Amino acid sequence: MAGLGFAAPVDWQTILGAKANSTDTEGYPGPYYVVYNASGGWDTTYLMDPKGVDGINRLYQQGEILTVGNHRLAPIAKHIANGMSNEDFFAKYGSELRVFNGLDLSVNNHTPCARYMATGKLDSLAYPTFPALVAACYGAEAPLAFLTFGNYSATGNLVPMSRVPYLQSLRLLARADSVEGGTHPYQDAFASDRIERALEEQFQARVSDSRLPRVERSQSMLYAAQANSKALQRVIPFLPKEQAKERLSQQNDIALAAFKAGVCISANLSIGQFDSHNNNDADQMKLIPEFLAGIDDLLTKAEALEIRDKLVVIIQSEMGRTPNYNNGNGKDHWSIGSIMFLGPGIAGNRVIGATDEKQQLLPIHPQTLKIDSVDGIRVRPEHIHQALRELARIEDHPLSQRFPLQVPAQEKLQGFWG
Amino acid sequence: MGSQTQQTASHCPTRLPWLPWIVSMILIADIGNPVIGQSPPEPSDATTLTPSKNSLEFENEVWAKVVERTCIRCHHMQGDAKDSELVLETSIDGLYDPETLVRNEKAMRSVARKSFGEQSIVLQKSIGRLDHGGGQILKPDSTGYRILERFVEQTLLPTKDPKPDEAMESDQQPLFFDGITMLSETRLLRRITLSLLGRLPTPEESKAVEQDGLAALNPIMDSILREDAFYVRLKEGFNDIFLTIGIEDNAETLLSYDHFEKTRLWYQTHDFSHLPESERQRAGWKLAAVYRDALLREPLELIAYIVRNEKPFSELATADYIMVSPYTARGYGIFDEIKDQFQNSEDPFEYIPARLHALKGRDGKVQESKTGWYPHAGFLSMFHYLRRYPSTETNRNRLRARMFYQHFLGIDIMQLAPRSSDAAAVAAKYEIPTMQAPDCVVCHKTIDPVAGIFQDFNFQGELGPRKDGWYQDMFPAGFEAEVLPDEERWRASQWLAERTIKDPRFPIAMAEHVYFILVGRKVLQPPEDIEDSNFVPKRKAFLEQRKMIREVATRLKESNFNLKEAFKAIVVTEFYRADATSRTIEQPHRQAELEDVGLVRLITPEQLDRKIQAIFGKPWGRFQEEYKILYGGIDSITVTERNADPSGAMGAIQRIMANDVACLNVGLDFHRPTAERRLFPHIEPTVIPGDETSDINIRETIIALHLKILGLDLPMDHPEVDRVFDLFSGIVREAKALPSFEPRETYFCGGREDFRVDDPHYTVRAWRAVVTYLLRQHAFLYE
Repeated sequence: MAGLGFAAPVDWQTILGAKANSTDTEGYPGPYYVVYNASGGWDTTYLMDPKGVDGINRLYQQGEILTVGNHRLAPIAKHIANGMSNEDFFAKYGSELRVFNGLDLSVNNHTPCARYMATGKLDSLAYPTFPALVAACYGAEAPLAFLTFGNYSATGNLVPMSRVPYLQSLRLLARADSVEGGTHPYQDAFASDRIERALEEQFQARVSDSRLPRVERSQSMLYAAQANSKALQRVIPFLPKEQAKERLSQQNDIALAAFKAGVCISANLSIGQFDSHNNNDADQMKLIPEFLAGIDDLLTKAEALEIRDKLVVIIQSEMGRTPNYNNGNGKDHWSIGSIMFLGPGIAGNRVIGATDEKQQLLPIHPQTLKIDSVDGIRVRPEHIHQALRELARIEDHPLSQRFPLQVPAQEKLQGFWG
Repeated sequence: MGSQTQQTASHCPTRLPWLPWIVSMILIADIGNPVIGQSPPEPSDATTLTPSKNSLEFENEVWAKVVERTCIRCHHMQGDAKDSELVLETSIDGLYDPETLVRNEKAMRSVARKSFGEQSIVLQKSIGRLDHGGGQILKPDSTGYRILERFVEQTLLPTKDPKPDEAMESDQQPLFFDGITMLSETRLLRRITLSLLGRLPTPEESKAVEQDGLAALNPIMDSILREDAFYVRLKEGFNDIFLTIGIEDNAETLLSYDHFEKTRLWYQTHDFSHLPESERQRAGWKLAAVYRDALLREPLELIAYIVRNEKPFSELATADYIMVSPYTARGYGIFDEIKDQFQNSEDPFEYIPARLHALKGRDGKVQESKTGWYPHAGFLSMFHYLRRYPSTETNRNRLRARMFYQHFLGIDIMQLAPRSSDAAAVAAKYEIPTMQAPDCVVCHKTIDPVAGIFQDFNFQGELGPRKDGWYQDMFPAGFEAEVLPDEERWRASQWLAERTIKDPRFPIAMAEHVYFILVGRKVLQPPEDIEDSNFVPKRKAFLEQRKMIREVATRLKESNFNLKEAFKAIVVTEFYRADATSRTIEQPHRQAELEDVGLVRLITPEQLDRKIQAIFGKPWGRFQEEYKILYGGIDSITVTERNADPSGAMGAIQRIMANDVACLNVGLDFHRPTAERRLFPHIEPTVIPGDETSDINIRETIIALHLKILGLDLPMDHPEVDRVFDLFSGIVREAKALPSFEPRETYFCGGREDFRVDDPHYTVRAWRAVVTYLLRQHAFLYE
């Protein structure tokens, strides 16, 4: 159910204010934030937190666990048919990759876990997801400031969410004043200009009207949405000619074109079906490689577009899976998870946190980030989100402060990205 | 003092306070330890039911910020702390009348006076001391604790006067809608007909409200709620809630292979011999598609049938029938039995109520039934509903139970999930955590019994009990502490339905559904952040809305659940009619109070298409498929919530729509004989600005267009009329200044090959710009 905060439209003052102050006609220059969601709950023991003991994994034993630099990874290459193996993924990106194991989700149901992972707040429906927050802080005026392709996508009323499922749609939107996105304009240029000017005059004239707060905000929102949408034409040069076949590649293409055009700050990308209550190993061996291949696709294409060094990538799932198999050869929900990061400002080849051989988390000391069973803390999503806000340099932004994470100063993770 | 074992055994509330019950993580609160209670005499005013001087502070501070959020979760008549000295009166919807609040204040003050050592036990218990069964509720340095401290101090020194500003506040409470102007009756009528019917008001309807005001609305609503178009909107609205058309598989799979093997694929053997060979395959595909569509519609048709016939909406849960069409009846194998009841037995979308016989499996075994019929219980036994919310071996129908609470009782269990100190350790520690671990029991004790109600349905929602019987490591099937008797097992869904519709939360949940359909957003939740300087005004807004919802729910219940009454009640509320403020609101508290006031809803793609049809005579069409998701619509499967705010992508679609609809209709309208025009019946393309007569003609047309497209009745000298006049005349003037321009209107927007419109003065194109401008207006795109 929507909270009181949900009832209000998004923060139009931010959007308009940003628009008014924006002089950069080329749009938002980065960094761009991408959150990949393995929706349904991935099996971390088949990825970055391998076990191979006590029947936790049927596909390998402890002695088969691989290492790439400081990373330990589950050997899966021989169990997959398509996609990218852990072996290849870590070989290619391990030096840039930062892994956190032993994240305490506190609950084990999809909805609250997804909300918690996305926002850093378990018990509120009003908080924005990290990509929504960072979009609001850096460029709410961008027409596709916060793109989402699924998963929990609350915005905290800070920025509108954009759903653009197909490339072709983006092409049409980019040429809204031309018939069918073609070369014939609907209106002559001088008529179009007069329409836009009349709308702007009307908007300015309304400032002194006595309007209800909802009316005032929604009128401003509407004006901003229409006015800012013109910047969508910048995506056209970056749209691939063909729509990709793979699920994540389709999402990547849209997000990358929007990033490159400077019309997007963040994207929430997702594939589902990780909820492997039945036949865990078969499902995870299909989905993890698909997921990793999707991330590889993004980074490879970003390289070609010359924005690779501006991409902050967060790789997560709303929960882990139990250390034991159920009667259906599946694994159920587990409230201990992992998360991975790469991008500018994030030192790679590092693993923080750990779980024990029963897949229980080991507390870490927030200052040293080392395992510390005496003075350590249970790292939860709010700690990670606090670190993410610091990475994005928005921790003191007024919009962030409207949604405090309430992490005690002594629990803030020191040097988490270094 | 409750031991851990005792706490677990009696942990979850049965009759639950409306809001926080399901999220309670508080263990038994055993405030009433006779050893430690030491009470000074109570002052006499505490025994009366007159609000004390400090009552306002009690309600807005102590009650709203502390007690309602914490203590009452356990300390009520059915709660875990029901045997303690602090027992509070609860509410199912967050509303408390003043007398109840006074009694609760008295109860709180009573325990506040008890001390152990030198401090009130209520303060000590709240921070987890004195073996408080609920553990630590407040941190000693928290705002909540400080409020409680002040309350105790005030209780022990009852002569202390409230702060001057508090007393003043109590005397100066404005009415909630003070200073808010309401929509005129004619605009309200337009809002209603466009929202519910997708049409403009008829002249008769307009005349009636002009003459009789709101009094005319009730009979008009009666008429509106009988129109077929209303049922399109009704079904669309309820699908937004139940999402029952969101079935991924072919719809005939809703009918189980085990019970409908011989009938569910009837279309595959349909006789197409009368068609040429080359057309038969395509005809077969079409038949299958129509059949599947007809099946998917059944749940929503049940809703339409109940409402259209003014049957009790409680039949949503209790209907002992389903709705079938001639096509779907064939799938169930009952067509021959009931075909005479159809007016047209070949109409795939004519629905009538029907009952299924007790289902017979392929092994010949017939479903247990003491009536011989399938035990229908509205949505609760419909294959569609059960499939839409499937189960798994580990989920064990808990999703179904969750959706039951959300859809039928208005409780979202997953809204605020209880946090465990270490969920993984809890899961590992207990053999059956959901029955033994207090952190888990708190919810599962409520959820699992309802999950058990659906035990005879398999993961896909087909009748198919588990071979090994229902799980023994779950709380037994039942509802709210009442266990399902064995003899009722065969009709478990009906048993649940009978209890559901008697639950006081049921009419409230239904009223909230209607509110959602009309307003496009869910009801307010109470504010969460007690540190928020706007906490009190936000809570006031919440409570005002709760009052409205309660009134609607009461009217609904008193009408024997005639859902039309809920629609009629809400459209005349101030919440639905609020339009503007009579003066600029500058006080932040007042702004916070009014934050959610006013309909102000971005209309859905479906509604927008109907609105375009109502105004221009035909829908745009592209909102139904191409732009549906892009424009914030839903597919009922993966995209299930509509966008409330326009993104830049949606702004682009608005521009495309405005351009295209204006292009499609303006030239066409001028092409029509004057008497047949919808937009320009009183002006010709030859009228150009410059002389008084022409200018008046143009201005009158602008006013008429505002009325037609936006529903705004503007005076001739309104600034907006000036602005649009300037837009029109400026374009004509600018065109005239060009060396040359095409003397005919461009027609690239499609469908216009059969005619072209001469436009030697550029006026047709200027009017197109005017219409484009109007179609991009807030008044057009929002309700």
